[in-house]
Amino acid sequence: MSNSLATAITAPGGALRRSAAERAAMWLGDRGTLVTGLVLAVLILGFSLLGPYLYTASPYAIHGHHALQGPSATFPLGTDQIGRNELARLIAGGYATLIVSIPAAILTFGLGIVYGLAAALSPSWIDKVLMRVLDAILALPGLVVLIFFSALFQPGNFELILLLGLTSWPGLARIVRNEAIAQRNRDFILATRQFGGGTWYVARVHILRVMAPILVVNATFLVGDMVLALSGLSFLGLGVQPPYTSWGGLLQTGLNLIALDPWWMILPAGLMIFLSIMAANLIGQGLLARFGAAR
Amino acid sequence: MLRMIVNRLLTALLSLAILITIVFFMTHATPGGPAYSILGQKATPAAVHELNVRLGLAAPLWKQYVIWWWHLLQGRLGYSYLLNRPVTQLVGDYMMNTLALYIGAILLALILSIGLGLLQGVTYERWPARVIGALQLSLYALPTFFVGTMFILYFGVKWGVLPTGGITNLRLENPGLPDYARHLILPVLTVGLLGVAGLSRYFGTSVHEELGKDYVRTALAKGLTFRAVLFKHVLRNALRPLVTILGLSFPGIFAGSVLVETVFNYPGLGYLLWRSALSQDYPVISAIVLLIGALTVIGNLLADLVNGLLDPRERFE
Amino acid sequence: MSTVLSLEHLSVALKRGRGRPISVLDDISLTVNAGEMTALVGESGSGKTIASLGVIRLLPRSAEITGKVMLAGTDLAALTESQMRKVRGRDIGMVFQNPLSALNPTTRVGNQIAEVYRLHTGESDRAARARARELLGEVGIPDPAERLDDYPHQFSGGMRQRVMIAMALACSPKLLIADEPTTGLDLLVARQILTLLSRLRREHSMGVLFITHDLSIVEEHADQVHVLYAGKSVEWGGARSFFAQPRHPYSQALLGAVPRLGQARLASIPGNLPDPESRPPGCRFAPRCAFREPACETAYPAPDTTGGTIFACRRAREINPAALLDAVTPEAAPAAPVNRATALEVTALGVDYERTATSFIQGVLGRKDKMRALEDISFTLGQGECLGIVGQSGSGKSTLGRAVLQMIPYQGHVILNGEAFDAMPRAQRKPARRRIQVVFQDPKESMNPRMRIGDIIAEPLKLAGIRSKRARVDQTVALLDRVGLSDRMINLFPGSVSGGQAQRIAIARALATNPGIIVLDEPTSSLDVSTQALLLNLLKDLARQDGLSYILISHDIAAVSYMADRIAVLNGGRMVEFGAAQEVLTSPRNAYTRELIAASPHFRTNQPGGALDIMEFLPSTAQPSAV
Repeated sequence: MSNSLATAITAPGGALRRSAAERAAMWLGDRGTLVTGLVLAVLILGFSLLGPYLYTASPYAIHGHHALQGPSATFPLGTDQIGRNELARLIAGGYATLIVSIPAAILTFGLGIVYGLAAALSPSWIDKVLMRVLDAILALPGLVVLIFFSALFQPGNFELILLLGLTSWPGLARIVRNEAIAQRNRDFILATRQFGGGTWYVARVHILRVMAPILVVNATFLVGDMVLALSGLSFLGLGVQPPYTSWGGLLQTGLNLIALDPWWMILPAGLMIFLSIMAANLIGQGLLARFGAAR
Repeated sequence: MLRMIVNRLLTALLSLAILITIVFFMTHATPGGPAYSILGQKATPAAVHELNVRLGLAAPLWKQYVIWWWHLLQGRLGYSYLLNRPVTQLVGDYMMNTLALYIGAILLALILSIGLGLLQGVTYERWPARVIGALQLSLYALPTFFVGTMFILYFGVKWGVLPTGGITNLRLENPGLPDYARHLILPVLTVGLLGVAGLSRYFGTSVHEELGKDYVRTALAKGLTFRAVLFKHVLRNALRPLVTILGLSFPGIFAGSVLVETVFNYPGLGYLLWRSALSQDYPVISAIVLLIGALTVIGNLLADLVNGLLDPRERFE
Repeated sequence: MSTVLSLEHLSVALKRGRGRPISVLDDISLTVNAGEMTALVGESGSGKTIASLGVIRLLPRSAEITGKVMLAGTDLAALTESQMRKVRGRDIGMVFQNPLSALNPTTRVGNQIAEVYRLHTGESDRAARARARELLGEVGIPDPAERLDDYPHQFSGGMRQRVMIAMALACSPKLLIADEPTTGLDLLVARQILTLLSRLRREHSMGVLFITHDLSIVEEHADQVHVLYAGKSVEWGGARSFFAQPRHPYSQALLGAVPRLGQARLASIPGNLPDPESRPPGCRFAPRCAFREPACETAYPAPDTTGGTIFACRRAREINPAALLDAVTPEAAPAAPVNRATALEVTALGVDYERTATSFIQGVLGRKDKMRALEDISFTLGQGECLGIVGQSGSGKSTLGRAVLQMIPYQGHVILNGEAFDAMPRAQRKPARRRIQVVFQDPKESMNPRMRIGDIIAEPLKLAGIRSKRARVDQTVALLDRVGLSDRMINLFPGSVSGGQAQRIAIARALATNPGIIVLDEPTSSLDVSTQALLLNLLKDLARQDGLSYILISHDIAAVSYMADRIAVLNGGRMVEFGAAQEVLTSPRNAYTRELIAASPHFRTNQPGGALDIMEFLPSTAQPSAV
């Protein structure tokens, strides 16, 4: 019983709800967020994955005579304390960071959805049990657990992916479960059951479809979280191990030598982490705005 | 009402019990062990075995589990392998430092967030809100360890106005409060500023939602000024979710503390955890992990309870 | 008779985005006199809420307002904002729809009332509190002193609305504006609120501007009626003249769309409200009017003052009310119930309230607080019969529907074509459920917003095993046709169709599996009166064509009276009355039923000259039924 005009007036204080024309303008505006994020993401991906082919200097080669130099013609981002090319290391760092973060995000995503949906669609007592366990797991901050486990054994990249995935899924699982439960008793689900839809059919065809926007948005934010977590771990020396470099590791080196004022060892690496997380969040934000209307 | 409290308390205790069990398995059921760290890599198997018996690590797992609970309930958390001090004392000392850091940071973050969030909620979709939104996005994407390092680089190294780390100036005989305070500034700034991102976002959304509700229109129809409506009605309702968020952010805070304290060499709980993890000092690790977990559960409980108290709808259910 | 409020040529235009402002109200003039009630009537989109917000100037800053809003001599439109603030709450009191959200949920009721009193009189807290208590008593809230410190959610819906009225009265305003105050309230409660308002306005010589979409509610209480359509006034005048004989086709259709006892068909208005950007320059109702002629669309008709009411229609005088006196033959009262095969039988049905465990321990032990939502319900449903289930909120009628549909657990038996559901083997239950389908109250909520309409209707076909896409598409088109929608809809999403259209799609989907029985759970409650008529007519036609049985669940006795062959009345989970519709409605045995029926203003038998007779002139759906 609503007409867009009538509902347009209810919010006082000057906050007009949006009409069709305004929504279109906003869509374009928010597309800006999405586009910026995508462009940024493409650039970072290109930098990290294609970089080694375009800029062939080795990240491992030691140039003792040129140690700890600022940016110059030969070394655009300077050198580290044993004379390695910082720019090359930055590219290599990107590579390692991304090949761990992205699969970890995918793993987290998969585990979270399965657990969350299982909890939401099970009989109430199973759901309660699953959520209690989840609460207990969530009481331990992921980073703490990560630190604990990676101190135990030096993880290779594959183990890192597993570790990250296994410690991050609870957060997503809870979101998925809450959302699925909210959808579960909506009228259109009930109607579908009435003409023959079973539990799995309903989950697959309807619930997932309605949840798709939230899932996609969360997936993008997840990538950002993984990059952050991995960089943090590497910063502590517990993440990506030599011979691989990572941005976090570069930062750690920079911090250790900070008395020598080596801004070129700190700023670029930190910026890359910042930009990556920014890209993920911009994409998520842009998608959120796009999907927000069609709920 | 009493029922609700008891109910939540019991749930919290159960979560705690599960947590304690998980930590037990984490620390006792994993391969390796502290023996090699303590005795060195060249230790003979016999020496390792003897050490394990001494430390109580050779008994069957279930027995260790029972002893674990028994000790826990007595408050005996053991001795640090490395530093040979009682764990409780150790953790206690380091925890005070972390608390100092966090209380300062939360206060800073709260003040800034309420102001920014209010502005953002009221000017929704106009340029101030957009600017604040962009600011939040940027702050969110900045890693704490990056910002901390940059702070040290500029304020500490380049300009030399603030100390570069630690909690006191080691050269001073009697570091007084001012010295502590100077050392706290950068860490507090780091944690506090970055915390503004999430907190102000929540608050801004909360304010905006409240402004769209019907009772605001009713209040205006009574003749109140917009400002009166904002501060007398909306603010109170919008602040409520903030309390819950604060309570729920405990885990995040401790995770963050590891990174920040490492950057600043600040002797807090996170720093201790990191050091202990590197040297496999199990008693300390277990104690810290347990503490963090327990504080999280308590934080959640408090958040729930306070929310229940503040929202009259919950109170009378 | 002093005039409290006088709107003079009030027009409001709203800016939408960067485009030109849209006219929402066009040249409205109305008056409210002291001690009287003027009813401002219109459906959604008519601009009535804008009018109320325009009077107290709570429209967005970008709104353009022209004309005068005279409140006892002062033009409100010319005041500054700070002057206007003094008027709000002191000279004008407002009562909004939906009191639960219109009151601050975290502030005590006494404080909310005291606030407005203190604000305008500057009195002390003690005095304000005393005044609040006085007001609560005046609006009929028992134990006002204790209830001062209660929160809004501790009151029932009707009581909350009384609280809002108390708040509006705090400073003894000259004018009270009530914007749909009874929408969403139960019938009995709504009636009480209206009676309260009438008493208050007489006692305080206060003018009341009552805004509503439901003409029948104000029939007893309004002194003046003003009908709006698409932002323009179409008819206005004294209530008595209006209700005796409305002249404008739209007013007539509005009244005629309300179901009355013994009516064979409802008057419905085809088409939709015109899009504000594409309004005809002439009469805005013309595109939907049965009496239109080309001149109607080009120039807006001047108000005609010849009759009892003033109206804007060029042809109204030709519509001779006397000629419309072709009394529709009331349905021959069924002497004995028609012998029908039993499609459904329900015996001793009971349902417990599902309360989530209130404590963790209880949850673990599996014990729940037990309360009965339904107790010992039994009835039979014949083939082709429509059974109406009537009750107020909380009576358990929706629960009954869900139990029959097998959506919730229950005790007792539901027997479909001789077989009880609880006795059926698992494998048989699904196909059995297909034979009872459902139409919910909120049409858009009952469809997946991200699925196309064609897929929505075809889904039951798919699940029933029809593999060929071609066959499904053909059937979908056929179903759409049966409910009167074009196949253009197939590729649209539910969000882009109107409420009435969406509900028809829901009906089409329900028909897809060829059910014998359809449970209609408040199918028209969220629709406009005119759309409601359209839908009820459609349902009746479908039933006749297919021999469908209906269980019609509704709080609206009028709708039930139009559709049902037999009626069951529920109160507090029990069936208090059950019998043939005619009997239940005209001579109810149970006291509660009597109260319900008396409260429904629709309940007049056919009056000569009643508006309902013009239905013959309305196209498409107006086929007098062969009774």
